[in-house]
Amino acid sequence: MIDIHDIWKIYDVGGQKIEALKSVNLTIEKGSFISIVGHSGSGKTTLLSVLGGLTKPSKGSVRINGTDIWTLNDRQLSAMRNEKIGFIFQFSSLIPTLRAIDNVALPVIYANGGKKANRSAVYEYAEELLSTLGLSHKLQSFPSELSGGQQRRVSIARAFINRPAIILADEPTGDLDTQSEEEVMEFFSRINEQDHTTFLLVTHNLGLARMTDKVHTMKDGMLNSNNGGNPA
Amino acid sequence: MKIYQVALKEIGKRKMRTLYTSFGIAVAVSMLISVMITASSGQKEVFNVIARYGHSLTITPVDNKTSQSLKNFGIGTGSYIPESALPDILKVYQDAIVAGWEKMGALIFQEGTIGIAGASFPPPTFAPRLYEETTIKGKDVIVGGVVLDKELVARFWWDIDNGRFMENDKEIIVGKLFATLTQTKPGDTLEVGNTKMTVTGVLRETDSPDDYMVFTSLKACQMIFNKQGKISMINVRAMCPKCPVGEAAVEINKKVLGVRATSQMEIATAQSQIFQKTTALIVSFVVASLIISCIGVFNIIMGSIHGRMREIGLLKALGASKNQLVRFFLYEAVLIGVTGGIIGFALGGALSHIVGPILFKDIVIQISPRFLVIAVLLGTMASVIASIYPAFYASKIRVTEAFKSL
Repeated sequence: MIDIHDIWKIYDVGGQKIEALKSVNLTIEKGSFISIVGHSGSGKTTLLSVLGGLTKPSKGSVRINGTDIWTLNDRQLSAMRNEKIGFIFQFSSLIPTLRAIDNVALPVIYANGGKKANRSAVYEYAEELLSTLGLSHKLQSFPSELSGGQQRRVSIARAFINRPAIILADEPTGDLDTQSEEEVMEFFSRINEQDHTTFLLVTHNLGLARMTDKVHTMKDGMLNSNNGGNPA
Repeated sequence: MKIYQVALKEIGKRKMRTLYTSFGIAVAVSMLISVMITASSGQKEVFNVIARYGHSLTITPVDNKTSQSLKNFGIGTGSYIPESALPDILKVYQDAIVAGWEKMGALIFQEGTIGIAGASFPPPTFAPRLYEETTIKGKDVIVGGVVLDKELVARFWWDIDNGRFMENDKEIIVGKLFATLTQTKPGDTLEVGNTKMTVTGVLRETDSPDDYMVFTSLKACQMIFNKQGKISMINVRAMCPKCPVGEAAVEINKKVLGVRATSQMEIATAQSQIFQKTTALIVSFVVASLIISCIGVFNIIMGSIHGRMREIGLLKALGASKNQLVRFFLYEAVLIGVTGGIIGFALGGALSHIVGPILFKDIVIQISPRFLVIAVLLGTMASVIASIYPAFYASKIRVTEAFKSL
């Protein structure tokens, strides 16, 4: 379970205080499939960063299974990000010098320095994920040899390699066509149902948000809740 | 896949940047290695000569009759040492060497050579010479009478350019300059005093008065000039590198009347010290260039980090800890350093073949595998030192800052 309590994020830009998040409270049950919609600059990406342990809040707490993640040290926080959370970023986020399959396997390297990883099992699963996302013929391609949509699908596959309990996705289908978008969402739903993985999607695509169980809206750093198109 | 493999892939994909960075290290390492190889080979050469022949001592008669013109050549005629005095001089020398060893604590300095009383050490080579002035082919010249086998030890640099050394009392060899000026060649006959002698060879140029001299056997020289039993000087080779030759010189001067012994060890020591100081000076310049290379590597790596902010942020977001990021960049630094060290070793080896012969005539460049180890260690050390700050800087980059750089 994720419990966000009274989160504030205030940036100091040239002496001017900008409140990106204002007293955000949110509880997400395990296995939830929810989305946050809002205009650009509404604070939804900042909320995702705070929740994922990437941006430290100015005030408030983020508890994952009862642990306040912002009280963890760097090593513990890194391990938590690596093992429990899968990130899908809104921009192309692949390492240009690694092939598609190596990019997918990358998070495993940083889990205990790759010492506990079973290389063949990891690469088998990476291949399975890429195949599921329609990239079985691009396993050995470098990012520069992939289209924007293909790169996005590789980064989606990477988010699942450590079988995380939580997926945080920022505009996950941004570069995809309608058909690919539906396939990716079906894939998310399947994982959500099979493994009870928690999904939090951030998007300004209302059509995509309606495919989730619950939709939250953000405006000027504040969060409002309402049911999505497929209420639970 | 491990972190070092990711670093390896990174380097493999950015070959030009890696080579460019490594080259900065390689240039400095190559200079250092070439200086080390040249200095080592040069010192070895000097040591080999000293080990083979030891230091030298010159024994001349106390100078009261020597003609001034010849003295300018460093050669004395007109004053003599009786040949019969040789055993006495040798005994004083030997006793002084033994006493010197005892004073030094009789250290064993090489196998089979122990400096204690009664123990053996290599016998010295006493090479006597008789100098006489005469005229050959209308030119005033000095005839040197030598004992050839001893002379070849005392003047180990002697070699024949054309022909061969003399083998009997009727044969003679000539210095290079004399041969050129008088058009003398092997097979010619020269009249020395009233004796006709056959030229058997021309001495290779020595850059010494020997070049304008002619040489025959000591016995022949004594006979021709009617100086039986007389010699002009004795050149002594210690035949051991650490024999206390200086003390032997002092003892000879004290105990043998009518002669003056001069040790050349002091000159050799001074030369060795100058050599070492010059090497140290060059090494300090080269170390300075290594530091400049480090600054170059530092700049390149810092630039590379700024260009890879997103990548670093991404690695952190995917779970890389600070420690893992530091390791990631240090692995890169090690690979750059090793590459630079290997290239530097190759360049340094080649450079020493060019610089060595300029500094030391007849030097034999010896490239030992230890120089490869030194080059790789130096390259790696320089690269790692230059990368420590950038690596920690990268590890402290905040994910959100990295993403803002998009």
